[in-house]
Amino acid sequence: MDRRFPLGLWVVLGGTALLLSLLIQDIYLRSILNLMAISALLATSLRFVMLMGELNFALAAFTGLGAYSAGYLSTALGLPFAFAVLVAGVITALASAVFGAITLRAKGPYFLLIGFAFSEAMRVAYSKIDAVGGTSGMVGIYPPRVFEDWMPFIVVSTVLLLLLAFYLVERSNFGRILFAIRENEDVARSVGIRTYICKVIAISGACFAAGLAGGLHAFVNQVISPGDFSYLLAAFALAYVKIGGEDNFLGPIVGAVLLVALSSYAIGFGGDEHFLYGGAIIIAVLLMPKGVLGLLGKLRLNGAALIGKVSADAY
Amino acid sequence: MQTFIQLSATALQIGAVYVLFSLGLTLIFGVMRIVNFVHGHIFSVAALVVAYLLPALATGGLSAPAAYVLASLVAITAALSVGALLYIFGFRYFQRDLVGSFILSIGLVLLLDGVLLHVFGGAVRGVPEIFPGRVSIGGAQVTVQRLFLCAVAVLMAVSLYLTLGHSRLGKALRAVSYDHEAAMMVGVPYARIAFFGFMIASLLAAIAGALLAPVTIVSPVIGTDYLIKGFIAVIIGGLGSVPGAILGSIFVASIETFGSYYLDSSYATLAIFGLVIIVLLFCPKGVLGRG
Repeated sequence: MDRRFPLGLWVVLGGTALLLSLLIQDIYLRSILNLMAISALLATSLRFVMLMGELNFALAAFTGLGAYSAGYLSTALGLPFAFAVLVAGVITALASAVFGAITLRAKGPYFLLIGFAFSEAMRVAYSKIDAVGGTSGMVGIYPPRVFEDWMPFIVVSTVLLLLLAFYLVERSNFGRILFAIRENEDVARSVGIRTYICKVIAISGACFAAGLAGGLHAFVNQVISPGDFSYLLAAFALAYVKIGGEDNFLGPIVGAVLLVALSSYAIGFGGDEHFLYGGAIIIAVLLMPKGVLGLLGKLRLNGAALIGKVSADAY
Repeated sequence: MQTFIQLSATALQIGAVYVLFSLGLTLIFGVMRIVNFVHGHIFSVAALVVAYLLPALATGGLSAPAAYVLASLVAITAALSVGALLYIFGFRYFQRDLVGSFILSIGLVLLLDGVLLHVFGGAVRGVPEIFPGRVSIGGAQVTVQRLFLCAVAVLMAVSLYLTLGHSRLGKALRAVSYDHEAAMMVGVPYARIAFFGFMIASLLAAIAGALLAPVTIVSPVIGTDYLIKGFIAVIIGGLGSVPGAILGSIFVASIETFGSYYLDSSYATLAIFGLVIIVLLFCPKGVLGRG
């Protein structure tokens, strides 16, 4: 958590992602890159709420809300692409603030279960509203023709910006407040921190990103349907977080890239997505609770110890 | 009036299944403080095994009720073994760890979804009628099968209530759910009691699955629908409370039945969710919960 995450690494990783988004011409690979970027953003948003010890399963509902808002604003009201996505994010943030204000009065299991029920209720609601296409969903959410070739670049750069924002907030005082809430909310409150307000702000910030991710997803896919936003979306995001490693900011991103790559590879063989993600979560939880990055860190630590020993022997 | 009685009868039938579900969920939460999302799959396993065995046994020459009893016994055994495996290799390590246990249970849900789909196939399966005929109660028509289902559900709820209230095991379960450390200090073997609690809850789900198989269409994902309703019932009633679970289940079933009749089944689902929000606004720990 406290590990330094230097500027150089940001530039290298971000630069590589941006370069890939410009260089890749194959349509299938481009769609996978888009999917990776959006998944990484969703997983980071989920992890951000986990910093304060809550599991935000309403993530699926709010991603859906963002996607549907962006789609509706663009197709029915004719708003320009960038504006539609941004407004979708704001709508989602406001809705999640109301949701958080109600549900965060209850703690732990209630918040989690209500989020789950809310996702399912929203899914039913989309299928009943004819203005957004009902059960068959919404079609024809096109980005402007000029941007069409630039979509992966736009998606990746937006995601990178938001990831940077998440990172800065996590390292700021607000991030420390979230840690304090997770460790012991009563103690945090006793030193004058208004924990309830902080929790609502954290939820709406995380859901703003989820709304933007949903909006981008709508424009990338051009088709959205209620089934895209079932609780499985949040479950998959959870898999990314757990596989990559919850303790590290890079964890959800590594997890998203690994699992999306693995599942697109497995689907080529007719493999089952559920099976893969479920197995990945179980292995992560039971065998490597710190995720892939935790495992790598341990190896590096052992390696360093070994090197230290060798050089000590030299004297 | 006739409609009202008919709808109430339907609500009670659906509520009976939710009661079996939510009692299990509330028991597991009370004893182990975990949210068990894979509970629905124990139900699915039982229902699928019945649906798979029953036609085979019936064509093998057994009479329908005998085949049903045999299939149910096998199904409940299978579901309980799955439950025991889940506990021994998974949830045992995650007691009182809300987030960790939930993540594990989501992983298990996804994995078992895949496994059940692979083993039993995606096709929905109908089961032949076991107890034919219907009876009229106060003008409402109820099939004998559904009546049987309700009777067993009531029986299970009453025996669970008596077990919790009067037996040694029940006292231990209650002690653990109030304060597990104090309970351990006076000699309650927590690990064993938690296992019993988990298995009793699994038994309730397995019985619900075996009971429901003949009256509904069985598919591998059937458990999730009931699980969601069961959880909503538990939230309304209050996690960890037995009367709360029963009350919540009847309540959710009534809204679902009356809402579906007068409006539409999806609006009924939305109404249930709206209701949960209202309940949480006024009592954040459910109507009868103590958190």
